[in-house]
Amino acid sequence: MLDPDEDDVRKAAAGDALAAGALVRRHLPRMVGLARRMLNDAAEAEDVAQEVFLRVWKEAPKWRPGAAKFETWMHRVALNLCYDRLRRRRETPDPDAGLAVADGAPSANAAWLERQRASKVHVALGALPERQRAAITLVHFEERTNIEAAEMLEVSVDALESLLARGRRSLKAALADVIEDLIGDADGAARS
Amino acid sequence: MKARGQKMDSARFQSLAEAFGADCGRWPASDREAAAAYTLEHPEQANAILLEARKIDAALDLTRADVGDLSLLTARILSSAKKANRPVFDYRAALAMAACAVFGVLIGYGGGMLAPPSDVDEFYFASAFEAPTLEDEG
Repeated sequence: MLDPDEDDVRKAAAGDALAAGALVRRHLPRMVGLARRMLNDAAEAEDVAQEVFLRVWKEAPKWRPGAAKFETWMHRVALNLCYDRLRRRRETPDPDAGLAVADGAPSANAAWLERQRASKVHVALGALPERQRAAITLVHFEERTNIEAAEMLEVSVDALESLLARGRRSLKAALADVIEDLIGDADGAARS
Repeated sequence: MKARGQKMDSARFQSLAEAFGADCGRWPASDREAAAAYTLEHPEQANAILLEARKIDAALDLTRADVGDLSLLTARILSSAKKANRPVFDYRAALAMAACAVFGVLIGYGGGMLAPPSDVDEFYFASAFEAPTLEDEG
């Protein structure tokens, strides 16, 4: 299996700043995006991304191209760091949880409505079991193939399909009102 | 997962849409050909199934957002790469070397204390402190 990162990983391990920069530019946005979706917290997501790269610098000298691509390994590290943080959150519940999505004053402002809907989707995604959320993030948002996503989650492709189906079914139930609104908006736009 | 080339039924088409959404480009590569054939054979059923899946896709797409400016984070991470490549001072190795040095000094000092006085030492002392007088030379 050809690993597009192999060369840069080897050079970065030898202290090549350009190769390290290339790895960061290539993977940082996805690491941050993944962690943000998993944790729903921008600052924590940046901490996770930084921690992933600390592991990269530590492991790069020992890295040997094997069964999994370097990017797959990075995703596994990021997901495990997110799982750890989510576990710690469950152990110490946040008293402010949920305040961010509290309903404000009604407004006809379309942007405000969209933010409210997006907020509900974030909450529904956050309420999913973490592996279902990770599966949806990888396939829908990162547009990974089923094989790539299954490798990153360390499950079979059939198990991935099951995680996705269960996750999306839960979202459909939790977001019935948002989906109705979206259909209403689309119908309204089609009529006008 | 069905093998490539096998005919797809409604149940399988629905399962795929429920799992991967309405965009067939996200479906497993091994199923795409059969799914396209199913869509041509059963366009109404296929469209109804895809419409349901599209609703969830649209809801999910509401949360699409750019990760924003990552320049500060990038700088922090690259600085951590420089630190990781810098040779580090190993405190354990330094402690081990210091312990060896102290042990060596103690062995040397202890050995010296335990060794019997030698005649040669006496000669040296004698020659050092009993310097010849003018009469001896004279």
